[in-house]
Amino acid sequence: MAKIIGIDLGTTYSEVAITEAGVPRILENAEGMRITPSTVAISKSGERLVGLLAKRQAITNPKNTIFSVKRLIGRKFTDIEVQHDKKWLPYEIKESATGGVEVKMGDAWYKPEEISAMVLAKLKADAEAKLGEKVEEAVITVPAYFDDSQRQATKNAGEIAGLKVKRILNEPTAAALAYGLNRQKNEKIVVYDFGGGTFDVSVLEVGDDTVEVKATGGDTHLGGDDFDKRVIEYLVGEYKKTDGVDLAKDALALQRLKEAAERAKHELSGAFETEINLPYITSDASGPRHFLLKLTRAKLEELVRDLIDRSVQILGKTVKEAGLDVSAINEIILVGGQTRMPAMQEAVKKYFGKEPHKNLNPDEVVAIGAAAQAGILQGEVKDVLLLDVTPLSLGIETLGGVMTRIIEKNTTVPTAKSQVFSTAADNQPSVEIHVLQGERPMATDNKTLARFILDGIPPASRGTPQVEVTFDIDANGILSVSAKDKATNRSQSIKIEASTSLTKEQIEKLKAEAAQYAEEDRKKKDLAEAKNNAEQLVYASEKAVKDAGEKIPAETKDTITKKIEALKTVKDGQDANAIKNAANELSAEIQKIGAAVYGKNEPKSS
Amino acid sequence: MLEEEYLNGWKRAKADLINYQKDEAKRFEDVVRFSNAVIIKDLLAVLDSFASFEKNLAQPKQDAVGFLAIQSQMQDILKNHGLEKIKVTVGENFNPQFHESVGEAESELPVGVIVEEVTGGYLLNGLVIRPTKVKLSKSK
Repeated sequence: MAKIIGIDLGTTYSEVAITEAGVPRILENAEGMRITPSTVAISKSGERLVGLLAKRQAITNPKNTIFSVKRLIGRKFTDIEVQHDKKWLPYEIKESATGGVEVKMGDAWYKPEEISAMVLAKLKADAEAKLGEKVEEAVITVPAYFDDSQRQATKNAGEIAGLKVKRILNEPTAAALAYGLNRQKNEKIVVYDFGGGTFDVSVLEVGDDTVEVKATGGDTHLGGDDFDKRVIEYLVGEYKKTDGVDLAKDALALQRLKEAAERAKHELSGAFETEINLPYITSDASGPRHFLLKLTRAKLEELVRDLIDRSVQILGKTVKEAGLDVSAINEIILVGGQTRMPAMQEAVKKYFGKEPHKNLNPDEVVAIGAAAQAGILQGEVKDVLLLDVTPLSLGIETLGGVMTRIIEKNTTVPTAKSQVFSTAADNQPSVEIHVLQGERPMATDNKTLARFILDGIPPASRGTPQVEVTFDIDANGILSVSAKDKATNRSQSIKIEASTSLTKEQIEKLKAEAAQYAEEDRKKKDLAEAKNNAEQLVYASEKAVKDAGEKIPAETKDTITKKIEALKTVKDGQDANAIKNAANELSAEIQKIGAAVYGKNEPKSS
Repeated sequence: MLEEEYLNGWKRAKADLINYQKDEAKRFEDVVRFSNAVIIKDLLAVLDSFASFEKNLAQPKQDAVGFLAIQSQMQDILKNHGLEKIKVTVGENFNPQFHESVGEAESELPVGVIVEEVTGGYLLNGLVIRPTKVKLSKSK
């Protein structure tokens, strides 16, 4: 069956995603990028270019390079927005015979939907190349405030591009879908979408089968680009102060500054300080000039503070228009690359007093949601096989009372996994296999499913025997555990019928407990591990001292013995740090044995 | 026939898994290549600075020789990782596959051809990771 693609047709960039096996993912374009500039051009040699290639020649061909056409699509020429945008867009715009808008590219006039269709056609072709099959249907997203005419024009663009548009989906709704929030009945969701050039706020309410848009607000000329501009202005100003050169007059220097400003902005989302280093930024009579400046996160925040404040004001106004109180909002979703900025996240969080959703890539949320909608429309392929998953992890108890997991929770069954274990003491004749179920790190906190013993292990020093433990869960959820001594091939096994007989409530309770005790458990496990390591180290050190015999100087031997004793005294205590410290000291000392032994054998240089 | 349905479902699941594994292996390779590309792309700034340094050098002085050696060392390492400079000659036609126009300059050459390479462009394993920034000719 042909797949339906989800398209986020953006003002500056567009993305395509698809749902496969229930999981939406972004498709890369022919250039290997996850985003495609929504730019179309007729090059000076008369060739039509779309996407990245169109953008690469925009500076020298501004009259024939069309971008931001989303600002014009479906609008009347007399609209205030069109009249405003007409002033700054570098290409020609005129009124069409029907009162709409037309743009000039090359020698011809085009409707905005025809331009969008060229972008969509590229997205379609690239998706087909990536998937290796034909794509005929799509879900396309539009801003929530788009009116019928703008939606119809977007749909037409899809049809011109050869796509059957199954649904025109609101961008904020797509974002909510991406986070799976459409299933939460009666929830009120705010989507804060700070894109490159536009800012949109939407308040949504999830109904029975629908997501209703309660209010929209925003500023069609506020975006991440404004942040870049502020940074560039600051950099130019600083350079003028320190070096007395006006970089704004040097187009090439300005372009480098622009790239550097964008990069610095990105870096400051993760770091507190970044260095903008642009050697040979320009040159004057005195020779080449370099640009070097440190930009801190605090400075960046200061530069754009009023823009963030403005967005929060709009946010407040929109929530009020929806007739809601701030406290009534259940979920907040961040969309748009600029929302990666910590100060912006903080501002939104402060306004609502709760954490916004931000774990999906904010540039891709809308496309992912469009693909999720496409997946719903497509209907999941009916599964003939119903496959279960293990609700809890399964494992065995190992040295120090630790539970070692063999099969992790949520593994699809049937499945089999095995791991090799060994003995903890010299000449240990048997091992006990204690089968456990649960999420807690220590064995005693989990449920015991079974215990059995594998004996007849031939005498050997600890750590030498190899016992392979295999867990096998069949399609009916029946767990078989077997243990085999690889040296003798002796084996023991047990069948546990009720491994998944827990009720849903019990499972949830166990999981909740695991989360509740996570910190405490981690400490216990840490202690157990420290003890295990200490024990191994004591054993290894004693053996090493014995093996080395007279090769090591008596005083080294003395120190080592003392350190061994020191570790022995703390290792049965409850202080993991003390054990670790003593172990580290011993471990440092023990290396001297190696040095002493090998040092003796080293050929003397002549 | 339920039996047949089950068998087909099983076959399908097996096939899905094998295909998924293949896809995943390829995706993993891409991830490795991509993460290399990210680092190498960042390093291009250093190559640019070296290139500017070399260009601004009136006469190779003794202390510059060292820098030039570092430059070629760097170029060499990146070359071994699949980095290749896009060759651009003055008078060549502009091709947005490989070039990005950043300005215009008056020249005797036909309008629209490349008159100056501003910043070098690079291919990584045959794919453009950064186009060459060029100036195009315009009539006087």
